Amino acid sequence: MGNISELEVLLRPPAMDMPVYPPKAITLASGETMVVRQVAREEVPTLLEAIYPLLWVERDFYDIVAARLFGELLAYKRYRVKDEYVLVGLIDGVLAGMVNGRLVDEKTGMSYHTLTIRRGLRVGSHLFAAKMEYHIEHCQQEEVLIVAESPIGFRRWMIEYPLEKKFEVQHEMGGVPSWLLPKDVYYAAKPRLVAGHRPISDELMKSSATIILPEEETVVRQVAGEKEEQQ
Amino acid sequence: MKPVYIAGAGMTQFGRSEWTLMQLASVASLAALHHANLGDIRVDGVVVANMGAARVNRQTALGSALVDQLALYPATAESVENGPASGASAVKIGVQAIASGMADVVLVTGVERMRVVNGLEGTDFVASLSHPEAEYIYGVTLPALAGMFARLFMDKFGVERKHLAMVAIKNHENAAKNPYAHIQQTVTMEGILTLPEAAVNNPPIAEPLHMFDCCPVSDGAASLVLVSEDVAAKLGGPKVRVAGIGQATDTHAVHEREDPTDLKSVRIAAKTAFDRAGLKPQDVDVVELHDAFTILEIAESEASGFFPRGEGHKALERGETRLDGALPINPSGGLKAKGHPVGATGVAQLVELVWQLRGECDARQVKDAKVAYACNFGGFGNNVVASVLQREA
Amino acid sequence: MSGKVYGMKCNSCGTVSYPKHAVCPDCRNERFEEVAIGGEGKVLTYTDVYALAIEYETRYLRLAIVELDDGIRVTGQLLDDEPKLGMRVKTILGTVRQSGETAIQGLQFVSV
Repeated sequence: MGNISELEVLLRPPAMDMPVYPPKAITLASGETMVVRQVAREEVPTLLEAIYPLLWVERDFYDIVAARLFGELLAYKRYRVKDEYVLVGLIDGVLAGMVNGRLVDEKTGMSYHTLTIRRGLRVGSHLFAAKMEYHIEHCQQEEVLIVAESPIGFRRWMIEYPLEKKFEVQHEMGGVPSWLLPKDVYYAAKPRLVAGHRPISDELMKSSATIILPEEETVVRQVAGEKEEQQ
Repeated sequence: MKPVYIAGAGMTQFGRSEWTLMQLASVASLAALHHANLGDIRVDGVVVANMGAARVNRQTALGSALVDQLALYPATAESVENGPASGASAVKIGVQAIASGMADVVLVTGVERMRVVNGLEGTDFVASLSHPEAEYIYGVTLPALAGMFARLFMDKFGVERKHLAMVAIKNHENAAKNPYAHIQQTVTMEGILTLPEAAVNNPPIAEPLHMFDCCPVSDGAASLVLVSEDVAAKLGGPKVRVAGIGQATDTHAVHEREDPTDLKSVRIAAKTAFDRAGLKPQDVDVVELHDAFTILEIAESEASGFFPRGEGHKALERGETRLDGALPINPSGGLKAKGHPVGATGVAQLVELVWQLRGECDARQVKDAKVAYACNFGGFGNNVVASVLQREA
Repeated sequence: MSGKVYGMKCNSCGTVSYPKHAVCPDCRNERFEEVAIGGEGKVLTYTDVYALAIEYETRYLRLAIVELDDGIRVTGQLLDDEPKLGMRVKTILGTVRQSGETAIQGLQFVSV
């Protein structure tokens, strides 16, 4: 941490020791390989750049997801959130999606957001599952608190896993009653929802060392699910 | 009956659209009208095919609305709702108008904008075509009917999941060559079936059918300009004739069919269409089938008369239905990858075939195609329209 | 439990149809008597369907077509953890769909 002022120390939330998410490789339906790995604070500005144009996409609540994710990532970069982590999915180094969350305490994790850029290949499902894997298997937590901001997310996570109600806890995402993924439910769902293999080759490691952003237009088009019309 | 020709064909990109229903319909219609290059020849009638607008878009009387968009008054106008067979039904009605001498030029446009609701509501709206008391109340959806059909069909004829995957791989590959296709992403056998990751990449939708066995939910529109022989002669250019259309129905509840694996309505519709055309399945060069589910491409390829019963998957395995095979099926990518805006589909199948017969399909062009066939499969096979098109010199 | 499931028996040729039609599919007669549908039979085909209407708050539904011993076929929900083609089942009546406040009754199948 080096030289930080006493006041800054007070402003930063206390931090717990967090294990690094060991990178993994997943072969997608297209045959392409997606590397899932954790990002460092220095990489956050690159992700912010990818999110920025989505702040105005109303469809499927992407605007609110993007705005909150932007704030969460900024808070992570500038030490204004407790124990946050960010995972990305990269295909040939190109950003396909990202997920984030934080540790509430040793026992409980909190899932923040899932943003898919490359559509149609279950990238979002793979990344969400990687996030649960991180909380339960790598951080050895007992449970993860989850909410959804879009109907798609609701159906996917709440019913697919399936999650349990923990409505007495307000989630940080707007105080919405929380849902819960307990450890045993995670392990029961793991075979059909968590994929990939480790360790990844040096070659893959190298090709995913730097995050390459798709063009802004491509991001908006893919996320909003639109393509240029032609006649 | 007087002969009927297709002078123009156009469509929008399929996928998810921000355009309104009428914008989609107008763009496809104008593309077809420009393709036909009618000059000062008047459009006598408009037929619009659509399934869900009353429920999903809160709009009715689409025929009149499209006439207004295109300022074609006082042309006649009709709307056709006939489930997933709406598209080819509308074409049939347009063909009848010209064949009877009541019209010389009819514009037929199929349109659907269903991505405006979430997937669950979309699934439920399509499910409303099932039998209300004997099927729908049990939670039956179209994937459910397809899943039960697939289980029985696969068990009976030794079709395996790898065959279904072959349909998906082929049609995704074709769609990647079609700029109008919803999905332009190829898939691999490893990624959707054989690797451990496939369990997550390709989750079950209605066992034994998985995600990559099912078509996407799409917005889009497709349009054809039908003309009489006189008008076709005036226009000059390539002549594509509607050689024959056949249609047949079957029981509403799938369980009432004597043999639920027998697509009787497809058999009858295809035979009628071929008889009217004076042609045989062996004469066909290019085919568009209604592969809302991969299993249907295999089953329809048999019921339409291209392969003996139980042999469709073997022809597929031998590569005969690939773009470079002896009988290319779904060069457009099919519903599976081109997309399935329900009411537009039957029209879009014929748009592809018109382009194929005119040699306008670039990378996915089937060489020297002269005779083409389409099967538009409505309900779960309780209303099927088959069409045969023929290129004349 | 009310709301048995009914088919119709043709007054002329005796053919039982399910679901009901306005005209006998066999002899075109237009007079019928209602008959309750159910009993034992075998599973003709089944599926686990995950693409469901929003009313179902479950991951999937197991649906089947069953051929009853009297030759009538029915579609319904299969309540069995080890489904197989051809397995013997019997029909029971249960809630098959929740439509607002109304619990809709229909055919379910359990193994015998």
